[in-house]
Amino acid sequence: MTPDEPHDAVVVGSGAGGAMAAWVLTRAGASVLMLEAGRDYSPDESPMLNMAMDAPLRGVGTPDKRFGYYDATVDGGWDMPGEPYTMAEGSEFMWWRSRMLGGRTNHWARNSFRMGPYDFKPRTRDGLGVDWPVTYDDMAPWYDKTEKLVGVYGSNDGLENHPNSGPGVLQTPPKFRVWETFLKAGGDAINIPVVAARRAILTKQIDERSPCYWASACGRGCSIGAAFQTTTSLIPWAKTTGKLTIATGAMVYEVILDATGKATGVRYIDKATGSHKEAKGRVVVVAASTGETARILLNSKPNGRSEGLANSSGQVGRNLMDTVGSNISAYFPQLEGRPRYNEDGAMGLHAYIPFWDYKRIQSGEVDTPRGYHVEIGGSFGDPGMGVGSGLDGYGSSLRADVKRRYGSRIGFTQRGEMIPNANSYCSIDTETKDKFGIPVLKFNFAWSDNELKQVKHFQTSMKELIDKLGGTLVSEPDEPAKAISKGGEIIHEVGTCRMGSDARDSVTNQFGKTWDVDNLYLTDGSVFASKAHKNPTITIMALAMRSADNIATRLRTGEL
Amino acid sequence: MPISESSDLVMIDRRVTLKWLMGAMAAGQLAACGDGAKGVTWAEMEAIKAKGYGTDPDFNNTVAPWPLTMTQAELVAASSLADIILPAEGDYPAPSKLGVPAFINEWVSAPYPDQHKDRVLIINGLAWLDQESRARSGAIFASADTAAQKALLDEIAYKDRVKPGLEKPAEFFSRFRSITLGAYYTTPEGWTEIGYVGNQPGTGDYPGPTPEAAAHIKAVIEGMGLKYTAP
Repeated sequence: MTPDEPHDAVVVGSGAGGAMAAWVLTRAGASVLMLEAGRDYSPDESPMLNMAMDAPLRGVGTPDKRFGYYDATVDGGWDMPGEPYTMAEGSEFMWWRSRMLGGRTNHWARNSFRMGPYDFKPRTRDGLGVDWPVTYDDMAPWYDKTEKLVGVYGSNDGLENHPNSGPGVLQTPPKFRVWETFLKAGGDAINIPVVAARRAILTKQIDERSPCYWASACGRGCSIGAAFQTTTSLIPWAKTTGKLTIATGAMVYEVILDATGKATGVRYIDKATGSHKEAKGRVVVVAASTGETARILLNSKPNGRSEGLANSSGQVGRNLMDTVGSNISAYFPQLEGRPRYNEDGAMGLHAYIPFWDYKRIQSGEVDTPRGYHVEIGGSFGDPGMGVGSGLDGYGSSLRADVKRRYGSRIGFTQRGEMIPNANSYCSIDTETKDKFGIPVLKFNFAWSDNELKQVKHFQTSMKELIDKLGGTLVSEPDEPAKAISKGGEIIHEVGTCRMGSDARDSVTNQFGKTWDVDNLYLTDGSVFASKAHKNPTITIMALAMRSADNIATRLRTGEL
Repeated sequence: MPISESSDLVMIDRRVTLKWLMGAMAAGQLAACGDGAKGVTWAEMEAIKAKGYGTDPDFNNTVAPWPLTMTQAELVAASSLADIILPAEGDYPAPSKLGVPAFINEWVSAPYPDQHKDRVLIINGLAWLDQESRARSGAIFASADTAAQKALLDEIAYKDRVKPGLEKPAEFFSRFRSITLGAYYTTPEGWTEIGYVGNQPGTGDYPGPTPEAAAHIKAVIEGMGLKYTAP
């Protein structure tokens, strides 16, 4: 079919949420038009084994490519020429866009930690934020299906609020490397768990995707299909049904409603010609990313209603959350001069530190209400442009120092839960338009004391672990207010169209269906009711699969 | 400090790099507007206007598109300095034999803000090095004798022993050293020397540590009175 013909479903976005919805729907026999604002992309383009040496500036990040020359993001970033966003005075927010087929799934770290029972009912537990309209038990089978389909390595450790996957779901995780074994020894001594990480990377072949070959940074995109991205999986699979039509370079800005209040499609700008076009469908699924989805709804003004579409609750754009981030790194003399071997492995986490201190939160001994996990990095990697950091002097002693210290530094990265607050939201800036003439988003963002206390807990705990292992801090961490990441910097923004059980204080029901428009669904991070410390992508996909299943049923029964 | 996208820490999370970059930038700004009452100070330079490689570069043609800007005299000084920082040793060649001066030229000529900050330090720093060398021994830095070169560097190369007033040249030296080391150890020769044996696709399960590496860490862990768990 062509983009001009009416389809059963119009899906806006080709990332984790959009591609999952498209795959489920096409598989159920529905015709789907997928609209992607960026260009067509295939990981066949990925510079898998290219050396930093062959890239300009040894591949370091620049304003053109923030995560390095070889990063998969071919168009996007926090700052995009002609596509600005604004910030309220006193607010700082960094809005990452990934304009390409597959969106951010082409370069994500593949960390895939499923949320647990506490995470779905946070308000019940501590009185803060809101509960989700689903329980962990509702979601468990969808996580199992998603993990199995995607291919996630990890182990079932039976830890509090870190649920096991179903039998046979997870793939075998790669062995710990020396520095991870070292950290585990320290953690074991002071009751900080160091366990196998969970990542969307194959260690065994499934379908046409090869297992990891233990090289190539995942952020470059994975042409062998081992590291999950929608461009090597959901999108090609949906294409094989013959039911998927893709239009790239299609910048959607508005949902169209008919006189009865039903969505009939969307309007978009065809970037190649600059012309405005309409795409028609029986159901509209928006998965354009947390910021862009809110922007499309707020810019859609049915019957001139200024609050935007699907916003009778007033919650569209509100409850903007990102992951809490901060870092500490240390040198460990005990790791100096250790025997060399190939530590590339899966190029990211084999091990990590899940949150462990729930009991002391409940007893009141710990004053931060929500948890975090710690992502750890060390290894004999490509030495890179940072190899000289912390070294002094010159001459043959410097040569010896470089070799001695190689592989003895470990970085600890906090990834924590943010609680929604009234000061963090996005709205339309009526004064500013992008190069397409579309009004842009304006961000308000503020951390609260809850997040700052969490940073303190991280700093104290990691210093204890570093100390136990005889390490020295590269530098003393800043106080939490300075050490904490900027909003949006971790690129886990969620929450702007939250789901709930009451139309008065949420935008969608538990299936991502907007309360106000019966055939308008949202399947990206915008529907998150809370931002657990677990990285959002696997949950976006599990929710999208569940929502799309609901849409497929309603399409089949003629309800839609 | 800018580090390569493939550097170790970045493998878990490249946002760490950006954090460091921001820190390094903030530190640079502080230094540039510090009081420096009697110390060496350098003027800001005009930013390079050339085009970058863009957001969607061609990986089959990875040549940096911007014109190179260093003069012959600057390249001579850079080459000499890099070779003193990391003198040839055994099988391992001097930086000038591995294209490091040319890389420094590419770096300081790049039209990006971080590289611009380094350009101000490095171009001024290399000129200062020649000027100071000439004043002390009558020869430019590259032509001065080894003892004279080292006497000069000893005043700026050690962070706890910087000669008062030479904080700016010391900052130059530190950045120059860092870029030299980065450029050197990202080459095949640098990989061999440091012992990086990755970027090699394999089949089957990830093998994990070699028996030698495992035995070593087991001894280390048990030596600390901690419990070793085999991977």
